[in-house]
Amino acid sequence: MSEKKSAKAKRLKTAGKLGKLMEDYYTESAVVKAEKKPVAWLTSVAPVEVCYALDVFPLYPENYATMCSARKLSAEFCAEAEAKGFSPDLCSYALNSFGSIYLDKGPFMGKGLPEPDMLIATEHACLSMAKWWEVLARHYNVPLYVVDAALPIDEEVTSYQVKYFADQLRELVAFVEEHSGNKFDMDRFKEVLGYSDEASKLFTEVADLRKTIPSPVTPVEIFTNMFPLVTLAGKRESTEFYREFRDEIKALAEKKVPAVPNEKYRLLWDLFPVWYNLRLFSYMEEKGGVVVADVYATAFGGRIDISRPFEGLAERYVANPILTSGVPNLTELYKRLVKEFSVDGVVFHSNRSCRMASMGQYDIKQGIFDDLGVPGAIFETDFIDPRTYSDEQVKDTLDSLFEILEARK
Amino acid sequence: MIADFQEKYSNRHQIAGQWKKDGKKVFGYFCGYVPEELISAAGIIPVRVLGSLDTVSLADAHLQTFICAFARSCLDQGLKGVYDYLDGIVISKTCDITRKMLGIWAKNINIPFTAFIGAPSKRTESARDCLTEEFRDLRSKLEEFTGKKIDDDSINRSIEIYNNSRQLLNELYEMKKADNPPLSGSEFYQIVKTGFVTPKEEYNEMLSALKAKLASSKPSGDGKVRLMVSGSTFEDVNVLKMIEDVGGNVVADDLCIGSRYFRDLTQPASDPIRALADRYQMRITCPCKHPSDERLYRLIEEVKEYRVQGVISIVQKYCDTHLFEYPYMRDMLQKNDIPFLYLETEDRMGEEGQFKTRVQAFLEMMG
Ligand code: SF4
Ligand code: SF4
Repeated sequence: MSEKKSAKAKRLKTAGKLGKLMEDYYTESAVVKAEKKPVAWLTSVAPVEVCYALDVFPLYPENYATMCSARKLSAEFCAEAEAKGFSPDLCSYALNSFGSIYLDKGPFMGKGLPEPDMLIATEHACLSMAKWWEVLARHYNVPLYVVDAALPIDEEVTSYQVKYFADQLRELVAFVEEHSGNKFDMDRFKEVLGYSDEASKLFTEVADLRKTIPSPVTPVEIFTNMFPLVTLAGKRESTEFYREFRDEIKALAEKKVPAVPNEKYRLLWDLFPVWYNLRLFSYMEEKGGVVVADVYATAFGGRIDISRPFEGLAERYVANPILTSGVPNLTELYKRLVKEFSVDGVVFHSNRSCRMASMGQYDIKQGIFDDLGVPGAIFETDFIDPRTYSDEQVKDTLDSLFEILEARK
Repeated sequence: MIADFQEKYSNRHQIAGQWKKDGKKVFGYFCGYVPEELISAAGIIPVRVLGSLDTVSLADAHLQTFICAFARSCLDQGLKGVYDYLDGIVISKTCDITRKMLGIWAKNINIPFTAFIGAPSKRTESARDCLTEEFRDLRSKLEEFTGKKIDDDSINRSIEIYNNSRQLLNELYEMKKADNPPLSGSEFYQIVKTGFVTPKEEYNEMLSALKAKLASSKPSGDGKVRLMVSGSTFEDVNVLKMIEDVGGNVVADDLCIGSRYFRDLTQPASDPIRALADRYQMRITCPCKHPSDERLYRLIEEVKEYRVQGVISIVQKYCDTHLFEYPYMRDMLQKNDIPFLYLETEDRMGEEGQFKTRVQAFLEMMG
């Protein structure tokens, strides 16, 4: 970690705990593997709760990719995947994952992730996930379960769409039981869902506290603190962590302690951070631009109706607002965030790896400007592979947004 | 005969404009997973939205550079008003680009009706149940739009017409197994494309007439290298002509605008919506679906059946699902000793020229 980041990390007490949670998690993964206990690899927005309920250790190649990127390993990994014939245009999360496997290298103990005993993928965030997991299944020759979703776009979720997902969750339970040898227990499942729901609720509370002017929390603190939300969803530790995080931010908000001293412009951030260059946020902050809302965190989590465990969990996934919206509804969603968080400008990170999430940004930017007069700027780069990154170009784009904002104040 | 197909395709927008003047309704659909049978049963003419080889000018303001040229070209055509005759568009959940396209069309192009089918990917019983409900929803939306009920009989009739059409295409495709196929690759795919923009009754008559004529023709041996083309949505027949010019002939395909479209027929069932759901969920997969291995197994089989000497893969740059599968496909072909050439198409502007030397070298290598 850079000095700057650790200096910033000290601002919050919970920051140190996060580091420990991450370290413990990866250490445990190695221990679990050594003890021959079952390990599953999951895509993001996959029902990890089933794994925790069945004592299967879940690993996330996507989260792992962000860490490889932060440790400057991604360029090498992506290049290795390309040498094997994978197009450089594919999602670099996937390329990073393949490269790390082929080279058996990574940020933890110098090795790649512990090998999976089973694979679990969703494909409602994007199809690349299912394709990527198919490659993994062939490589490791282990069973794969894809949780598929029939999604609406800009319409209400239907009962049969929920049913289809819920049916598969039941199948997934049977799949994990079969390949782990562990037995499913409904009470345990409900307990896990409870923790997951609670973590999600607490995280949303933190996000809402960013409505406070000045914002009590920085975007880097938000993004790095998403780790337990994604990875430890359903663990007591995750919920405890978020309770402390929420309390800490809440206290700061009540005292109106600014996370960034000279907050001048409040920004909405779409979507992924540039994982190898989180300093971009500091660059904006030096100019008084503070990201106070983002769409990325909104895409994870969501509440669960625990009284109907399978349907409740299915609803969380199938009704994900980011994944079920097209340009018209997304524009409305962003406009709502702009208003609720008193946003002055919108920064769009057009991520060449993620066509699914980036498509439509030009229309959304225009829509926000037309309806609310709030300007936006779009810069294009890759979120974890730095090989095509141009700091100058990105900063030029940000500067021109600041010029517009300056002229308006 | 082929010229008729060619002409219809070239004039497709004028022809559709005429339908409108005659008071008919026309819908555009975006890929091979939209049940045209239902749209047609509603008394609406479905046409497939395809791109063109025109220079893209308007779509660039809406799409990043990393969106495939096919979707870009389609949107560009829409923005230019070429598809202004459409009363509606229907999109099914296939690739991420197509899924996001709906909103961009809805926002920028004035189209009275839009529908999205949240199609599942898998081939399980519960996926088929789900798709059945999706199709029922589509039926209700269509009924609401036209103000007319769509009864089972009209769906059954529509299924029959479409089955007929697919059957005829299969028979023509079958003819390509011959030593000297009566239709060249470029001719055959022109015929398939015309089917996407022609009412099926009329198209079926054209196909039957063509079939009868071909049965009596005596083509001479062409001595060309027998090839298969595989890849993403691909509608540039010029590339196929170029392949023929340098001594190859495409006798089989694994294309979304080819055999993947017509291979599977709908099996009659008491509930026609269910029958359609079964057909669309169980049809030969596009790599957007899971699991998609079956497509590649069939490809290998077909290479044998059609005595294919080499496979040319033409993939749209930025087409994720096909790109993810490429190394696997390459290895599988290698294992089966099938010569293989990979071409990536980016802007579709005169690319046949750039590809020519590579295809030539490929054919030479096979001797
Ligand atoms: S394409 Fe986008 S949603 Fe899919 S894995 Fe990559 S980053 Fe995630
Ligand atoms: S070519 Fe590929 S990416 Fe483009 S629309 Fe077709 S399937 Fe989607």
